[in-house]
Amino acid sequence: MSTGTARDLTDPGLYSQGEPHEVWRHLREHDPVHWQPNSGRGGGYWVVTRYADVERVLHDYSAFTSERGTLLNLLGRGDPAAGKQLAATDPPHHDRARIPLKQALAVKPLASFSDRIQAGIRDLLAPGADGQPFDFAVAMSQLPLVALGPILGLPTEDYPRLIRLAMMSTAEEDPEFQLPGGVEPTLKRGHREIFAYFSDLVRARLRNPGDDLISVLAETEVDGERISTGSVISNCYSMLLGSAGTLPHVPIAAIVELAGSPTYGDWAAHPELLDSGIEEALRWATPASNFMRYALHPVELSGVPVAEGDAVVAYLASANRDAKVFPDPDVFDIRRRPNRHLAFGVGHHYCVGSHLARLALRLLFTELFATFSSIEVVGEIERMHSTFLAGFKRVPVAGVPRRATVEG
Amino acid sequence: MAVEAAQQTSVQERLAQLWTARLEISPIGLDDDFFELGGDSLTAAELQGDIDKEFGVEVSATTLFLSPTITELTQVIEEAVAAAPSGTTGAHPGGRQ
Repeated sequence: MSTGTARDLTDPGLYSQGEPHEVWRHLREHDPVHWQPNSGRGGGYWVVTRYADVERVLHDYSAFTSERGTLLNLLGRGDPAAGKQLAATDPPHHDRARIPLKQALAVKPLASFSDRIQAGIRDLLAPGADGQPFDFAVAMSQLPLVALGPILGLPTEDYPRLIRLAMMSTAEEDPEFQLPGGVEPTLKRGHREIFAYFSDLVRARLRNPGDDLISVLAETEVDGERISTGSVISNCYSMLLGSAGTLPHVPIAAIVELAGSPTYGDWAAHPELLDSGIEEALRWATPASNFMRYALHPVELSGVPVAEGDAVVAYLASANRDAKVFPDPDVFDIRRRPNRHLAFGVGHHYCVGSHLARLALRLLFTELFATFSSIEVVGEIERMHSTFLAGFKRVPVAGVPRRATVEG
Repeated sequence: MAVEAAQQTSVQERLAQLWTARLEISPIGLDDDFFELGGDSLTAAELQGDIDKEFGVEVSATTLFLSPTITELTQVIEEAVAAAPSGTTGAHPGGRQ
């Protein structure tokens, strides 16, 4: 379905060769609200690339609705989850429905899981801990479940299958995850299997409650009523999908940029920069590169009239490189402050898992710096083939173990 | 009549009634796909709870989500009922509660 032009943002091939930062920069400067025909499928959408416009599209739910689909792959089809899942629901219903997950994923309840998450992270780095080459992207692909697994009480042996199903549901264009039948059967199968998995799990937890988040969610009350079983399952689904395709790419993108550069050592030597460096890694990676909305009435964005009913796609990954907001946007600056990046979105739909993501990233980078004094890319890098997720599938690296450095 | 077929079993009929209650449509064919009739994953999850209650056995969600027809579900429910120790299933032979 690709027309092969460099500007065709609907072509997943554009992304497997590298993030189209050049394309986005050009659009920000010359054509900030650009009409993109949707090659092969009819229709089209507005490509919004400037920070101020992206922020407005995400913020202003009275003008831009989430209820007709928020992912580009739903363009023109409507969202089957409209009004039912958090990401596809507008306020005020959205804000009420979000309460249980927001409480469960707040900073305090998560703290008690730190030790277990850290142990899981150590295992992920173990294959390279003695200096052997290992694939950092493959290792990090398990990070979301290392973080979520202890919280949801998931059996470790289920992690790889859940990751695979989540990738079928979010990177369905990538040949590595696509089923022989194509995009549609891949999405359907991934989605249904995840639901089936969590349906059985939630049922088991309702019978035998534990101290995990699923048990907590099942007992949560909103307005004096327990939330429905369907809602508990759907929240589990959202947590898996929200993290599986996104979280790994923050450390991966950071390491691809920092490997072999003095910035790695600089960051490792300054623990007080842990958080500002992580925010910069989030800005740099912006793994969920875009979200879609539909205009509810005629609006103007950067002087361009957008008609009622038009699809509008906000490119967070472009906004996060907007020089008007981020001086030297293409420099990975671990000291960058302020850093009001949009990697978690903005407004009512701000990522509900952001605390868990930041906790996992803090533990990961701490462990990484404690393990390796430096790190190098030692083989060919392979990117994701997706118009939605910006990331990497293969990043062979080798680290210099800190132990060895100290001893000799 | 909820089921359109010459030969009906009571499991099929009770299942069709559960589907009708969730989907608000009738009649339901034995080989109709739950999702093609307008069901979604959330409705399917609620239906799983309905099946647990109605038949007193726990059917894996895999069947419901991946082979969502009355015919397929009837088979796994009948197998589950047969496998359950007698007197523990709470099934209601012959009809509704």
